[in-house]
Amino acid sequence: MDYLVVFLVLVVFLQTRVTDLKRAVICLASQSVIIAIACFVLGFSHGNDIHAVMPGVLTLIVKVIFIPGAIYRLVKKLKNEREIVSASNVNYSTMAAALFLVMGYALVERLMPGAVGRDIVASSILMIMTGLSLMVLRKRAIIQICGLITLENGIYLLGLLMTEGLPLVVELGVFLDVLIAVVVLVILTSRMRLSFMTTDTSVMKKLKG
Amino acid sequence: MDFMIISLLVYLLGTVTLIWPKKAELGAHYFGMLCSVVASGLVVFSTLRYLLTTDNNWLIDLAWGSYTLQADGWSGAFLLLTGVAGVIISLYAIDYGKGYIGSRIRALSGLWNLFLLSIVLVLISGDAFTFIISWEVMALVSFMLVYHESEKKKTVSAAYQYMVMTHIGTAAIMVAFYLVASTAESFSFVDMARNNLTGYMKDAAFLFAFAGFALKSGLMPLHIWLPNAHPAAPSHVSALMSGVMLKVAVYGFGRFAFQFIGMDVFWYGLLVMLLGLISAFLGVLYAVMEVDMKRILAYSSVENMGIIFAAFGCGMVLYSMGMPMLSVVAFTAVLVHAVSHSFMKGLLFMSAGCVMHATGSKNIEHMGGLARKMPYTALFTLIGSMALASMPFTSGLVGEWLTLQSYITLAQQAGSPEMRLLVVFAFILLGLTGATALGCFVRMYGIAFLGRARTHIVEKAHEMPFFMLLGLGMEAFLIVFVGLMPDYLVNLMQRVVSGTGIAPMGNPIGIIWGGSGHYALYSPALIFIVFVLIGVFMVAALYRSSTFVTKDVTWNCGTVPTSRQQYSATGFSKPLRRAFDGILNPKRRTTYLRKEHAYFGRKLHYELSIPDLFNDKLYKPIQQMMINSSSSFHKIQEGSVSIYIGYTMVAMIVVLIWGVLL
Repeated sequence: MDYLVVFLVLVVFLQTRVTDLKRAVICLASQSVIIAIACFVLGFSHGNDIHAVMPGVLTLIVKVIFIPGAIYRLVKKLKNEREIVSASNVNYSTMAAALFLVMGYALVERLMPGAVGRDIVASSILMIMTGLSLMVLRKRAIIQICGLITLENGIYLLGLLMTEGLPLVVELGVFLDVLIAVVVLVILTSRMRLSFMTTDTSVMKKLKG
Repeated sequence: MDFMIISLLVYLLGTVTLIWPKKAELGAHYFGMLCSVVASGLVVFSTLRYLLTTDNNWLIDLAWGSYTLQADGWSGAFLLLTGVAGVIISLYAIDYGKGYIGSRIRALSGLWNLFLLSIVLVLISGDAFTFIISWEVMALVSFMLVYHESEKKKTVSAAYQYMVMTHIGTAAIMVAFYLVASTAESFSFVDMARNNLTGYMKDAAFLFAFAGFALKSGLMPLHIWLPNAHPAAPSHVSALMSGVMLKVAVYGFGRFAFQFIGMDVFWYGLLVMLLGLISAFLGVLYAVMEVDMKRILAYSSVENMGIIFAAFGCGMVLYSMGMPMLSVVAFTAVLVHAVSHSFMKGLLFMSAGCVMHATGSKNIEHMGGLARKMPYTALFTLIGSMALASMPFTSGLVGEWLTLQSYITLAQQAGSPEMRLLVVFAFILLGLTGATALGCFVRMYGIAFLGRARTHIVEKAHEMPFFMLLGLGMEAFLIVFVGLMPDYLVNLMQRVVSGTGIAPMGNPIGIIWGGSGHYALYSPALIFIVFVLIGVFMVAALYRSSTFVTKDVTWNCGTVPTSRQQYSATGFSKPLRRAFDGILNPKRRTTYLRKEHAYFGRKLHYELSIPDLFNDKLYKPIQQMMINSSSSFHKIQEGSVSIYIGYTMVAMIVVLIWGVLL
């Protein structure tokens, strides 16, 4: 579990520094793989039935294969697209991520002192906040989608940890939600590419009346 | 089954025209109007039967779940005027509505039925829920009717202004209902009468109720929608809106004043009285400045609602001074004037519709000499104008006489010199109002119907078809009937207000009122006899062979007088504009289109506009303030999604840190 947390934090920090779209997607997929492994570990620690396997399998199918696959196919169509940001922006978001990590640990210390999974709770808070900051600071639609999935992963991980396994219906609902959101976002992004010749979301301001 | 229920069902049947097949548009119109005539007739019938038998039962008493329908005498008085106006105006609309063939006539007649249905439902609802729902339906349907001629740009803005204003009113009424019902712990009117509101909450409930109903009835600071909405609607709709819908607000206010809040606080009545007086005077002052026929009538509605509320306030003041018996005259005046105003305003809006039908214009500056082209319309309009100017032998004077009597009673009973002074002020305002109203309707009638044609649009004018004249004639008949024999109406309304305890005010000779120290008598019959005697005497004294009239052209310094040398509507009201310059603040602008010489060969363009006092001084600043505060919100609402997500993020961090620190 500790190794997983280390990898997770590493991947998240990597995400804040990646500007190439393909690499961002690969980062996302690897992050989801870690989440899936965490799901299996947590699942088997609670029991051996189908319910233990289900979240991990769903995460693998939806978040590792389907969503990054869909985004990857979209990215391949986009040529000459990369996040154009200054180095300072990237540095700021890494710095913010570091702050979020500290904040996460401080929160855990205050809210549930001496908890067993404090590292993983802190890292899930890190993921939530970093996902949000990716959505705020970056301009490309693809990276914003990655931010959304990161946020979603963080919430999912936190939920999994706190509740020791959600009811199956809820889990299915969560995955369906994410799936549909991403499908819609991918469609919107490709539409955007057709209409604006770019996936820079700041051009959307033009739509304002 | 009760006739009232049948009439509701018939109204409902009338709304079927909304989904009538398009091919049979005219059939839909006839069917809808037939339904509304029959249903309104049933309303009149069942209300009269109830009011004349005076048992203490309800007019209608039904309950379905938490919805109740209950109507007492106070509802009955307003149901009566609704029914009468419904019958007459629907008859008129049979012919008038034909002008809308091809432009959503099915919607017009369906909504017409729905409008009448909602008004009747407001009047007979027995709990706050039913009241608010019917009130809202009434507001929305009247909005759609005002919006009917949506091709015109002015109509659209008037309709939206009406909708915004009426919803503000509805909100205020809902607050008032809530305040009352929360202490009574029930929404039924019977239970709400037993509320125990005290202190500030009672004041707040009263103020909200008054604001809401005053807005709907167009009292002065809140009248702003009225002169725009009424001209924009089709004429029969404006007749019903002005004749009936404004009175429904009086009904609601009466419900609050009599039943829920009580009238024992002195300043409640004073506030109502003052606002009523101010609206009466300013309303007619603006009316006399307008050249649009329907706007004249709309401002005159403001005036008459002002008179009604002035009487209402006077009654409330009398009641709060511990003289409930004497306040009867004021509340009788409210009802009588409400009924007679619904007659006269119905008549005049219908006749404005006739004039528009004949000439295609509402601007009286373009008319003149219409009486020759459409004699019957002119006759009926004359009767209506006389009534609105409160001339004798018309119903208009009856209500005003009762109002003045109530003020005389108040003067008699006033304890303090301040109160006396206030009553004197009220008399001055009412007198000014009456005189200005006379001028206003002399001007409207004289400019539009008498004299010579000002433009060619008058030449193609023609007399109206049968049903339109029938509608006008019925209203004119009622006005003259009530004017000559006011006792039926006055007694009926007095009984509604007071029960059967007091001696009837009216008898065939006239109306008698003894509350003001001396007995006062208004007797149209006696005045009529005196008039006839004087007339006979004068004819006998003056009739000689030399009294024959020789007709000749007016001498005009050798030139032939043209129609452009007549009094124009603007010119006629010039003295008043000068006298009340400070209030009206008219904007005059003269531009030279061509000026070759100081005196000759020049062409002028003269523009005169009278800005509405409250529009400029009250509404524009509020609007400006709202726009300014919105634009300060605009800075944080940039339209960029990432900034919105950023707000979420900041909020989340703040919440987390807050959670940690606590």
